[in-house]
Formats: sequence, structure tokens, C-alpha cells
Amino acid sequence: MTDTLLRLHQNSYYFFSIVLFIIGFHTMLTHNNLIKKIIGMNIMDTSIFLFFVAIGYVRGGRAPILEPGAGHAYINPLPSALILTGIVVAVSVTAYALSLVVKLYRHYGTIDAEEIMRLRGGETL
Amino acid sequence: MEVKTSFLPVWVVMFPMLMTFVIYYVEQHSEKMRNALSVATAVVTFLSVVALYPEIVAGNIIEYRMFQLLPNLEISFRVDILSFSLAVLSSFVWMLVAVYSVDYMCKEHGCNRYYPVLIITLASCMGIFMAGDLFTLFVFFEAMSLISYVLVVHEETVDALKAGYKYLIMTIIGGLALFFGIIITFEVAGTVSLSGPTLFGEPTALGFFAFISFLIGFGMKAGMFPLHVWLPDAHPVAPSPASALLSGIMLKTGAYGLLRVIFHVFGIELMRESGWTLILAVIAVITILLGSAVAITQEDLKRRLAYSSIGQMGYILLGMAILTERALIGNIFHIFSHAFMKSTLFLAAGAIILKTGKRNIKDLGGIGRQMPFTMFAFTLAALAMIGIPPFNGFLSKWTLALGAMDAGVPFYVIILLVSSLLNGLYYLPIIIAAFFGAEHGHEHEPIKVNEAPYKMLIPIAILAVSCLLFGLLPTNLPFDLSRVAADFLLRGGF
Amino acid sequence: MSAAAHLPALTVVVPLFFAYLMPLLARWRKSWCAATTLAVLAFTFFSSLYLANRVMSSGPFVYHMGGWAPPWGIEFYVDYLAVFTALTISGIGLPVIVYGIKDLPHELKEGVLGWYYTLYLLLMASMLGMALTNDLFNLFVFVEICAIASCAIISIKESRECVEAAFKYLVLSAVGSGCLLLAIALIYMVTGHLNFTFLAATLPGVMAVYPKNILAALALLMVGLGVKAALFPLHVWLPDAHSSAPSPSSAVLSGLVIKIYAVAMIKLLYKVFPATFAGMAPVMAMLLWMSTLAIIIGSMFAIVQEDIKKMLAYSSIAQIGYVFLGVGLASHNALLGGILHIFNHAMMKAMLFLAAGAFIYATGVRKLSQLKGIGVTMPVPAGAFAIGAMAMVGIPVTNGFWSKWYLALGALDAGKPLFAAVVLVSSLLNGIYYLPIIVNAFFSKPEGAVAKPGRLPAVMTGTLVVLGAGCIIFGIFPSLVLGLVSRATRLLLGL
Repeated sequence: MTDTLLRLHQNSYYFFSIVLFIIGFHTMLTHNNLIKKIIGMNIMDTSIFLFFVAIGYVRGGRAPILEPGAGHAYINPLPSALILTGIVVAVSVTAYALSLVVKLYRHYGTIDAEEIMRLRGGETL
Repeated sequence: MEVKTSFLPVWVVMFPMLMTFVIYYVEQHSEKMRNALSVATAVVTFLSVVALYPEIVAGNIIEYRMFQLLPNLEISFRVDILSFSLAVLSSFVWMLVAVYSVDYMCKEHGCNRYYPVLIITLASCMGIFMAGDLFTLFVFFEAMSLISYVLVVHEETVDALKAGYKYLIMTIIGGLALFFGIIITFEVAGTVSLSGPTLFGEPTALGFFAFISFLIGFGMKAGMFPLHVWLPDAHPVAPSPASALLSGIMLKTGAYGLLRVIFHVFGIELMRESGWTLILAVIAVITILLGSAVAITQEDLKRRLAYSSIGQMGYILLGMAILTERALIGNIFHIFSHAFMKSTLFLAAGAIILKTGKRNIKDLGGIGRQMPFTMFAFTLAALAMIGIPPFNGFLSKWTLALGAMDAGVPFYVIILLVSSLLNGLYYLPIIIAAFFGAEHGHEHEPIKVNEAPYKMLIPIAILAVSCLLFGLLPTNLPFDLSRVAADFLLRGGF
Repeated sequence: MSAAAHLPALTVVVPLFFAYLMPLLARWRKSWCAATTLAVLAFTFFSSLYLANRVMSSGPFVYHMGGWAPPWGIEFYVDYLAVFTALTISGIGLPVIVYGIKDLPHELKEGVLGWYYTLYLLLMASMLGMALTNDLFNLFVFVEICAIASCAIISIKESRECVEAAFKYLVLSAVGSGCLLLAIALIYMVTGHLNFTFLAATLPGVMAVYPKNILAALALLMVGLGVKAALFPLHVWLPDAHSSAPSPSSAVLSGLVIKIYAVAMIKLLYKVFPATFAGMAPVMAMLLWMSTLAIIIGSMFAIVQEDIKKMLAYSSIAQIGYVFLGVGLASHNALLGGILHIFNHAMMKAMLFLAAGAFIYATGVRKLSQLKGIGVTMPVPAGAFAIGAMAMVGIPVTNGFWSKWYLALGALDAGKPLFAAVVLVSSLLNGIYYLPIIVNAFFSKPEGAVAKPGRLPAVMTGTLVVLGAGCIIFGIFPSLVLGLVSRATRLLLGL
């Protein structure tokens, strides 16, 4: 038991990022409010960023700026660099999704997926 | 016997195919030219097939390899005695039908569609008979089946479209089954060529799958029970010349395919020892009885003829199931006989429909006095159907029965007799009513002679006389061809 | 180094660069947009052709972005599969946009035309990138570009259905991207590599230590790419998205975009994860059953559709199943059939969507029941549709036949004849929904709008003729592509 807890503590970044991932996933798929869906999407993305950056983290490490003569431990810069790209992607997806929600609101006067479905009389969104 | 390379088989297939485009171009300008060209194409094709005769009769095999699609998979042509027999028969009937069409179709719509399709179907039919490997055979088989759809739905009525849809779906099922069989053959043997030794060595489960697939694929086309359901719908709705071809010739492509499968893919030893022929025999018996019995209940003349075709195809299947020499001769000879008989019947029915518009058998009273010539031909062919000597139908049944006796199964002979009786039951009333009855409701009016145009009568006459001639003469070309072909197949077929 | 040495990068970078130039060009010289797009795509086509030629003559080679060697730099690996995919993308993308030149002004608002070309080029660039890249994260970036571009290329039409469909697509696509990124993180976590070649080398060792990580990553990869490739049961977004989009978009989305994720999956499954991988067996079995369900259920749904483009969209779900069937069977012939089907289906589905687009362009009719007699009044598009339908059913002398041939042969090779039967049953189902359309088109009297269609521009007719001829030519001479595909398969299977 204590062993499990200890390991959980050691891997808390991973644990919480997975929890966040599930929260985001859940929000995204179960909420009818389109804005909430987008929020869920962002939570999910952020959790992965956290996960990814945590991989590269070295306990006690510094930002990887090489100074002559300093013998510090550095964190792995690659995940951070990758996640920078990931963030850009996430932002653009969010912006695009929001613009679609604006369009949908103009068309239907609501941002509730079920309401839209009812207005359309068709399949689920 | 030697194998020779000649371009002639390719020519026989390619010439009508190319002429299709020419006809398509010409018909935009002149209908007369279109008709003339169509007939000319059929005649030239027939003559080209006949030109193969000297080589074939000398016992040679003619081959031509077109090109390789993939390793071990090519488009190739190979003409042996069996191919030649069927090709010469088909192109002959086709030629007569093309002549017949000219007058029959002149009142129909969409002739500009009819003629090119008629000719390209001829090309694919020749392709089936001259194919040198299963793949080529399959390609032409699919082409013929799909293109003849256009002939089936020519009238574009609701009935025709419904029948056509059934036909199309069945064709696709058949094509897929065939595809499956070919794939298995290719997987097991590494080749699908028909020129080598048999492709399956021993009766494995996979081989059995392949056999069943081939049986479904070719049997569907041959109107085999229980895959015959499309036939009685599709054949009657087509224009009569097309019905004659569908029933007289195209059904035979299925029989031809099965012959090839039995003798080249599996080999006669394998067929005998595995006992798979029993399946074929059971199906054949059911097909014979079912076709003949249901034909009696049909009111529509062409529908009755279509069911009769199913029954007759049963004989051919039976011949393959028995697999003795005389049964095989009877089988191949019946392919000839049935082509002549059924074409005569359908063309005669077409003449009646064209002149009087009557399709129902009840209305046909006195038609024999109105169209004596047509009905005389009809009678000849019908008597041949029943199997009365000295018609060709008798000869094929007789040989078939002898073959059954050779195999020691007199049961098949009884089946043949019962079926003949049933044939009599549904053909004779038509004839009796036609000559001795009177039209319903017009009993006392004198009947005027009102014959079909001579261009229709001549093909009917030629076919009807063939029915008599090829039964009457003790040695005749179709019978000789059947004998040699049966001998050739039983010797191993290469 | 000469310019030719940089062609792998240029093939991706040139369309990317011109994509961003397009809005500017649209403001300055509107009429140049189309021509520039065509020129760029022609460039990608010819450079793919050059690369294919080079790969065929001297074998696969790597290209390092900016001269940085891995593990630091991004690597493009130009092998048979990559050039085959690149050729497919640019070869189909080019005629589709030629068609679009006339069709798009008809379907889109005046102001957004320039943007359409931007999106189209972005889509092409990202797909080409996915085909060529040998780096996991780079793959992810291209996947994201592709996802946004393909959603945007739907919503650009701005009708209700389009916006809705695009939103649905975007949400599910984001789920897929999330899974993909998490999978990448999990793989990177235990291996420390992102380069495919390095991964393939380290994974067997790592597998012994962290099997759960790898399995989780594999599962996430399957879900992530499966959603995007519309692999059943993750296909729910596809029918709306593909049917509501402008016709050229539908053609590339159905023809190419879903296929490119399948290519990515093939690369990952066969190149990165070692063949002896213990966890692979259930993955392959799962793929097999999912694709079987996709094939059967996709076709079933297609049968009941009323809208022509929706029917085509459901048919795509079934057809992507063929590709995954080949992947799952994993025998040489089956994989060959699957990869071949990527090309064949791209060609026929693009043509079918464009033909449907032509019907809609000229008559405004989308309902299948109202398209009766279209073959009489519009023989060329209906003829193209007929050829496409025949190819779908797999009639010989069409290219679809060869996909079917190899898949069935491969199923027998793998000792699973059941799946050969699946291919055949699906062909029959295809026949059931495609053939009545052709029959109605050619053998019925045209009524209403169908009786008097508008004039179809020559480029649109021409595109259909070219694609239709392609289906037949590749049906008669399958060896034209088979050399490349067969080598790709051999390399993937390590034969």
C-alpha cells in the first residue's frame, strides 16, 4: 500500500496528467455545450503537454542554457521544444473551433448540441 | 496433334469488338448501313471461325498468347475441338439472328443501342470459347454477362427492369463465385492456364470450395437449379432475337465453362474418385424435372420456352455428371441440338409476337393457319424438343441415355423419359391449338394468311431444317464434332 | 548539392510556401491563383515521379532536413511506400483541382476562393509530408495540419451542414490527435527517440522492460489514427463531413485524406514496431475484425442512403476497410492488395465524387431517386460514374479488380479464406447499391431538372474522362503500379 502510494507520489506528474486527460476527454464527449466541448479539448491537450514536459524533466535540473564552466544538470530540452509546437497547434485548433461555434450560433441561435440537433431534426452532433 | 500459333483466334474476338465501334460511328449517319454492317460482321466472324476448321479437324490446337498482365497471369487464346465446336455453333446462330433482327427490330426503339451490343456480345462470347486460361475466360464471361444486361432490359418496361435487376445481381453473384474459384485455383496451382495438365492434384477441402464456386459461377449462367431464378424472368422480357441468343447460346457458355473446369481444372480422375459429380447429378436431375414441370404451368409463350430451357440445360449437366464417353457425346451434341431448337422456337415466337402481338398461349388458337410457315418451323423444333425421332433432340437424348446405361444408372434414363413426356405435355397443346383450334371469340371468321417478312423466315427455316437434318443424317458435322470433342476431353484434353 | 538532391524537402515545402502566398495572390491577381496551384501541384507530381524513378533505380534513401542528422534533425525517408503515396496524392490531387477551377466558383462564395487554394495546398503539403517523414513528431505536426486543413476545406462552404459537419469532424479529430500525441509521449518516454529507424532498433529491447507502455502507446496510436482514417467504429464523423463538403473537397477527403492515415498506420505497424512483437498479434486480429465490420456495415449503410454523396461517403468507410484488411492479414499479397487499393480507391472514389459533383453542378439534384435518366442527358459524367461503380464492384478490366484479386489471394495465403469471402460479399453489396444507380441513369426517362441539365464546363468533363480512362488503363495494365507496390510490400515485410 505504502509502496503504491510512494510510487504514485514519484510519478505524480504522470498520474495527474492522465487524470486531466480523462477529465478533458469526458468533458469533450459528454457535454452538449459546444464551448464546453472546446474547453474539454483544451484540458485534454494541456494534460498531454504536461505529460510530455514531465518526461523531459530532470529533478533539480535547470533550463538548458549552456553557461561556460557550469556543471548543472539540465532538463531534456527536446520535449519542451516539441510541446511548443504542440501548443501552437492546440491554439490554432481552438481558434478554428471557436470560429465554427460562432458560425453555428449565427445559424441556429444556440450553442447547445442537442438543441441544434432538435432544430435540424437529424443526427447527433 | 500439335500446337500451333495463329493470330486467327484473336482476330475472331477482336474483329467484332472493333466493328462495334465502327457500327457505333456509322449508326449516327445511316440506319441501313448499321444493319448491313452488323450482319456483315456476324457473317465475317462466322467465316473466320470456319477458317479454323482445317487445322482443328487435323487434330491440332491453335494458341495465341496476347500479353502478360502479371507473372503467371495472361490474356491468351487457345482453340481446341471443343472451343471450335461451340464457336462455330454460336457464330452461326448469331449470324442468323443478326439477319432476323433487321426486320424484327425495325419497329423497336433504341436500335442504335441494340446492334452494337449485339455485336460486342458476340465478341465476348467468342472470347469465352477461345480463352486459353481461366482468367481470360472469366474476363470475357463477365463482359458477356454484363453487356447482355442491355439486351435483357431493352424494352425498358417496369417488368424488364425488374427482371434485369434480378439478372444483374445473379450475374454479380456468379461472377464473384467464379472469381473465388479462380483465386483458389491460382493459389493452389500457381497458374490458371488451361493448356497444361490438370490444376488440382487431389481432392482437398480448398479444391472442393473451388469446385462449388465454379459450379455456382457457371451453373448460374447455365440456369442450374437453384440459381435459375433469373432465367425465366430475364429471357422472356428481352426482344425475341436476343431471347434466342440468351437461351440458345449464352446459357451454353455456362455449360462450356463447367466442361473446362471438370476436364482441365480438376481432371476426370479427380472428379470420379472424389464423387463430386454426384452433386452435379442431383442438381441436374432436379433441374430437368423442375424446368419441365414448371414450364407446363406457364401461360406466356416465351416464359414457357424459358422454363423449357432450364429443363434442357439439365440434360447437359446430367451428361457432365455421368462422365462416360457416350454421355459426353450426348452432352456436347445436346448443346448443338438445343441451340438449334431453342433459337428456332424463340425466333418463331418473336415472329408471332411481331405480327399479332400475342404472347399468351391461350390466344394462339388458329395461329398455325395464319402463319403456317412460322408455325411449321415451330412444330419441327418442338417435336425435336420432345425427342421424337428423327429429330436431333432424339439423337442427343438417345446418346445420353446410352451413356447413362454405360454408367449403369438406368434411373437417369427414366428421368429422361419422364422429362420427354413433360415436354410433350407443354409443347403439343400449343401445336394442336395452333393448327386445329380457332382464335378465342373469333371462331367463325376465316383466317387470313399473314406471314412474317422473309428476312425473318429464312433464319427460322434454316434453324428448323437443321433440327431435322442433324437428326436424320447418320453422320453429320455436329455429331462428328461432338464425338471427336468427347474423345479429346476423355483423353485428357491436351 | 544540386536542387534535385533537395527534392524530398521541396516536394513538401513548395506547396506549403505557395499555400501562404495564395491569399496575397488572390488580392493582387485573382485569376493567377488557380494557375499557380496547378503549377505547384504539377511540380509535386513531377518531383514525386523523379523520386520514384530514383528510388526504383537506386533504392531508398534518406534526406536530412537542414543537413541535421538524426537524432537531432528531422529525417525524410524516401522509400517505395513513400514515393508511391506521394505519387498517388499528387496524381489524384492534380486532376481534382483542375475540375475545381470551374466547380468551385459555383459552390463557394466569391471572397473565399483564394483561401480555398490555400487550404488545398496545405492539405496536399501535409499529406506529402506524412508520406515522406521518418519522424514521429514530425508526423504528428503534419497530421494536425492535415486535420485543420481538411476541416476547413469542408466549412469553407459555410452552409449549415458544412459548419456542423466540420465541427463534428474537428472534435473527433482532436480526440484522435490527443491520443496520437499521448502515444508519442509514451513511446518517447521509454525509448528517447522519435526517429522511426532508431525506434525500430530500440523497441525490441525496451519492450522487454516496459511492455505496458508500448502496448498502451500502440492502442492509442490505433485509436488516434483509426479515428482519422474513419476505421469502423470510429467513422461517425465521415458521412456528414464528406457528403456536405464542396465536391473537389469530398473527392480529396474521401480519396486521399483518410488513406494517408492508413499509410501512417502501415508505416508505424510495419516499420517501427518489430514484426516479432508479441503484442502485435492481437493488434492485427483486431484490425482484421474491425475492417471486416467496416466493409460489411459500411456497405449496408450505403445501401439505404438517399443522397448520392452520402452514399459515396459510406462506401468510403467500407473501402478503407479493404486497406486495413490487407494490413491486418499481413501476408505479402494481402498487404500488396491493401496498398494497391489506396491508389485504386483514390482514383475511383475521386472520380465518383466528381461525377456526383457534376450531376449536382448541372442539375442541382442530389437525391438518388431523382437522378433517373441522367445517363441519357449527361452521358460523360454518368459514364464515368458507371466505370467507377464497376471498379468498386471489381469487374475485370477495372483497377478495382486487382485490389480484390490480391486481397483475396492474400487471405488465402494467410490461411484465412473467410476473409476472401468477406471481400467477395462486400463486392456483392457494392453491386447492390451502385448498379441500380447506373441502371436508373441509363434506362429510365429523364424527368424534371435532370431532363434539362445545365452545360458542364469542358474541364470538368475532361477530368472525368481522364480519371475514367485511368481506372481502365490501370485495370488492363496493373503492372504499371505493381512494380512499385510490390517492392514497397517486400521492404515492409522484410522479404
